[in-house]
Amino acid sequence: MVDLFTGLVVALSTWLFGVEPSAWLAHLIGIIVAILVVTLPLLIAVAMSVYADRKIWAAMQMRRGPNVVGPFGLLQSFADGLKLFLKETIVPAGANKGIFLLAPMITFTLALIGWAVIPWDENMAIANINVGVLYLFAISSLGVYGIIMSGWASNSRYAFLGALRSSAQMVSYEVSIGFIIVTVLLCVGSLNLTDIVNKQKELLELGVPFGFVFTPLFPMFVVFFISALAETNRPPFDLPEAEAELVAGYQVEYSSMAFALFFLGEYANILLMCAMTSLLFFGGWLPPIDWAPLYWIPGPLWLILKICFFFFVFAWVKAAVPRYRYDQLMRLGWKVFLPLSLAWVFLTAGTLVLFDWLPA
Amino acid sequence: MPTLTIDGNEVTVENGTTVLQACEVAGIEVPRFCYHERLSIAGNCRMCLVEMEKAPKLVASCAMPAGDGMVIHTNTEKVKKAREGVMEFLLINHPLDCPICDQGGECDLQDQSMAYGIGQQRYDENRRSVREKNMGPLIKTEMTRCIHCTRCVRFAEEVAGVPDLGAINRGENTEIMTYLEHSLASEMSGNVVDLCPVGALTSKPYAFSARPWELKHTETIDVHDAVGSNIRIDVRGREVMRALPRVHEDVNEEWISDKTRHAVDGLKYRRLDQPYVRVNGELQPASWQDAFAAIAAKTSGLSGEKMAAFVGDMQDMESMYALKQLMTSLGSKNIECRQDGANLDASERASYLFNSGIAGIDEADLILLVGTNPRLEAAVLNARILENVRARGLKVASIGAEADLTYDVEHLGEDASVLAELAAGKGDIFKALQAAEKPMLIVGQGALAREDGAVILKLARDLADKAGMVSEHWNGFNVLHTAAARVGGLDLGLVAENGQNINSLLGRAEAGEIEFVYLLGADEFDVSKLKDSFVVYQGTHGDAAVSVADVILPGAAYTEKDGTYINTEGRVQKAVKANVPPGDAREDWTILRALSEVVGHVLPFDTAAELNEKLVNELHLVDVVDVKPQAAWGDFGVEGDVAAGALISPVTDFYQTNPIARASKTMAACSAEFVQVGVALEEATGTHG
Amino acid sequence: MTFLHHTIRSFFLIEFVKAMWLTLKYFFRPKATINYPYEKGPLSPRFRGEHALRRYPNGEERCIACKLCEAICPALAITIEAEPRDDGSRRTTRYDIDMTKCIYCGYCQEACPVDAIVEGPNFEFATENREELIYNKDKLLANGERWEREIAANIAADAPYR
Repeated sequence: MVDLFTGLVVALSTWLFGVEPSAWLAHLIGIIVAILVVTLPLLIAVAMSVYADRKIWAAMQMRRGPNVVGPFGLLQSFADGLKLFLKETIVPAGANKGIFLLAPMITFTLALIGWAVIPWDENMAIANINVGVLYLFAISSLGVYGIIMSGWASNSRYAFLGALRSSAQMVSYEVSIGFIIVTVLLCVGSLNLTDIVNKQKELLELGVPFGFVFTPLFPMFVVFFISALAETNRPPFDLPEAEAELVAGYQVEYSSMAFALFFLGEYANILLMCAMTSLLFFGGWLPPIDWAPLYWIPGPLWLILKICFFFFVFAWVKAAVPRYRYDQLMRLGWKVFLPLSLAWVFLTAGTLVLFDWLPA
Repeated sequence: MPTLTIDGNEVTVENGTTVLQACEVAGIEVPRFCYHERLSIAGNCRMCLVEMEKAPKLVASCAMPAGDGMVIHTNTEKVKKAREGVMEFLLINHPLDCPICDQGGECDLQDQSMAYGIGQQRYDENRRSVREKNMGPLIKTEMTRCIHCTRCVRFAEEVAGVPDLGAINRGENTEIMTYLEHSLASEMSGNVVDLCPVGALTSKPYAFSARPWELKHTETIDVHDAVGSNIRIDVRGREVMRALPRVHEDVNEEWISDKTRHAVDGLKYRRLDQPYVRVNGELQPASWQDAFAAIAAKTSGLSGEKMAAFVGDMQDMESMYALKQLMTSLGSKNIECRQDGANLDASERASYLFNSGIAGIDEADLILLVGTNPRLEAAVLNARILENVRARGLKVASIGAEADLTYDVEHLGEDASVLAELAAGKGDIFKALQAAEKPMLIVGQGALAREDGAVILKLARDLADKAGMVSEHWNGFNVLHTAAARVGGLDLGLVAENGQNINSLLGRAEAGEIEFVYLLGADEFDVSKLKDSFVVYQGTHGDAAVSVADVILPGAAYTEKDGTYINTEGRVQKAVKANVPPGDAREDWTILRALSEVVGHVLPFDTAAELNEKLVNELHLVDVVDVKPQAAWGDFGVEGDVAAGALISPVTDFYQTNPIARASKTMAACSAEFVQVGVALEEATGTHG
Repeated sequence: MTFLHHTIRSFFLIEFVKAMWLTLKYFFRPKATINYPYEKGPLSPRFRGEHALRRYPNGEERCIACKLCEAICPALAITIEAEPRDDGSRRTTRYDIDMTKCIYCGYCQEACPVDAIVEGPNFEFATENREELIYNKDKLLANGERWEREIAANIAADAPYR
């Protein structure tokens, strides 16, 4: 992707100014353009996903949801954003000001930089690194820092309790997510996300639709999805910001743009988790089945469609199920998902070794 | 002593009581409109009908004398039906305009129709409508509401002594009106508003401004004259809305004068609400600190002999005491409370008290007025004399300028020589005084506030002695004051030493011997004589003395502070704070206390309680509240020759006697209507007033 | 057996899937709510919304400053000051309602002897700051003029039941 834009920059510069720019400059501009090409639509997508979330939830409750700002209320999120932007940022008197303001920035930045390794098509990632999965895993784990910093710096017991809950929850579910990723990696033999998708192309050619999801890895997909809910603090695992007991959890002291950054970061994270689910189990940019006309549709569009579908499911779950109790949440993470995913790692590895299917 | 049976209970009542009063003794309420304890019986509203056994019809209980063996029923079906019928008849022509009626919420008809009305009406014919009548600047009329109880008519004749009100025509065409639609020219006219059981007569200055349920009531004391009428101040927010009388049988019964009632709007206008200091000949707003500093700069190093303090007519004991303490600490003894220059002697209490007491008028059989016009100086007291003249044939004689006192007076002469002759034991009146069982001699300020005032005081004392007016049980020597603060000031000894009075002090100020003058609300003298002195004015209104003041300290008016007042009888009464002073103004004793710190002589009290304790320690009589004192008889006054010239009452304009009244728009309107009527006649258009 | 049944039910997320299926069915159902700002629900003639001071058809204001509404207001939201107008009639010089205090109980319109203060059908009077919610006499009279047709119709509709 970066090469593509670097080439474009060189060509454009030569055509416009008749000068070929130096290689490093063209590369730098190419990187910046590539980042902008991914992040700007992403931020708009985040805004629209907030709107979509509200609309879906409303529809399932037979309500209408936002309908005033713009046609069908499409501009609601932008109106909310504008409102938040114009409000006063209040820093509590007892807060640790530096950390208090740093926390939402960390959350937001981490939610965005994860997208650097997402491959939109063959050779279409900002950074096609060979440890892409590990990178994603690391980034989503770092997200807990933003939350625990906000909880600590707010100097409020609600915020602090919320942050503690959130970090414990995220750490717990990362363990099983880790094992699930290991099962996928065992089957692929690479940590590169492009390789993971390409491996699923082999499955498509064998007649398996989508990818790993319709293989014996299916239970792992379910566990991964549920863990993703927990990882992003979505219902039914939204205990860190449980209104009834913690007001708004770690966000309780935040207002204005600081709050908006948390909010955007949260939704960017949800989209990132949807993207990860699509890449690991649903064949990324590949069409659902191996049928030539479907390949005419560009790969990025397939990935976006899959992300949209998973986002719909996220919203759907939110509408369908009530919130867990905290001990139930922990029991599920440690006593169900962890043994299950661990068992599946052994099972997968054993099967691969037994039949000598290990990838080269 | 007839004994009656009322609703099964036996009661024994005094001879001459009516059935209605007997019912009250028995604790049974009988509804009434026309009956009033202090007025004659009319018996025309028929609301008080009760059933009497062996009588063919129901009887009007207010007019039926109680007789021995009567059996009265007040709660039978027949009585109930009769009351409902009476009420229905009354309501036929009474408009249903309670929402726009100022009487709403405190209306006898409203209350009694809730209790005794039937809640519907059967009358479909045209209703009566009556044109409004002009009754002057104080009384607003809405005569369609009138139920013809004639309380107002009886009041005007019997209490106010101005028989200008009456009912004309008959039956449905009856109308209450004043003679030729003149204003009701009485100093007591406001009381008809209280008497009116409906909203026919309401207070014009108070019109539409508040509802009774919005008002905070404070029971306090009036200071517009020396009677010390008991009043209730009604306040909304921090604004005084109205003053109403309270019942005090020994002082004001249940009447108050129009000045007491209507001058309260003067509390809103021309108020001093921040300190001022004169800089380069002009008064500039200043802070309290700056004002105090200006005073301290003048007093430091100044000998007490060059200072003087004058106390106004409406000051409370606490303020006067604090001022006395301050001036004493500064080394000055020139404190003067006799603003009008009256030659009163502070050393003999009996010489300046109304010794017989106001209630004593009810027992007196002959009154001799000397240099006083009680109608203008103490209207409520005058009404009391009138009541006794009407009821008991009390005789009144007077020496001084002739005036209409609303009752017949035997006028003996205008100047003091008449008194001298009487004191020498000559004349028919002297014999009458000797013969009278409880004679009263009332000496006014018109006789005392003269150069020969002390001589007149002596003559009056000798007359009282010679005519045997003073005995163990009766002291017929009375001084009628015009200022609420006067008796208190004399009790505190606020009299300049060495026989000086305010005139000599003013003369010394003019001559430059007195450089510093402290005025505690004192305005009633020739302030131009203080032009060259350094004048501190502590008061409430921008009145006369402000023009010469170098420092102005804003004080609290009588509704704005707790205070003690002593009325002309020597009766100690406590006034209660009803609202707060405006702006930066403060209660007067606190100003003096704060000033004392700046001038370097800290007064020894920090709270009102401490001040009161000090005051009581110095003047024990302040502790005996609401009791008419008995002052020991003594010798006072100065022998000498009286000067010629009529004894003229100091009050010429009843409505403009003090700073509050002078600031009041209502009082100004009254003054224009009643006092300056001859002056303004040429400009009158016929639609004024 | 029960244990097995229970384990299977929870292991295969049966209830979870059922719930999802139920919500999905609701997703496609017609909406129960109306499209609010563009569509409005029916209002009772007794609806108690924003206050208004009415006038008589000849333009004379109805309020006669009797202060009964002020007296009955349980939230003490009404403040009235009155004095005689130039023609001698009793009118208010000040009629304030603090809409932030008002609890919309409707006692004021019940107390009013001349139908001057009424709670009209308007419920959309949100403001940007609190000051705007302290209504003075001008604002209330302007409300009365704007809503007179609806208010009069509502009073007429409810009259037979009073």
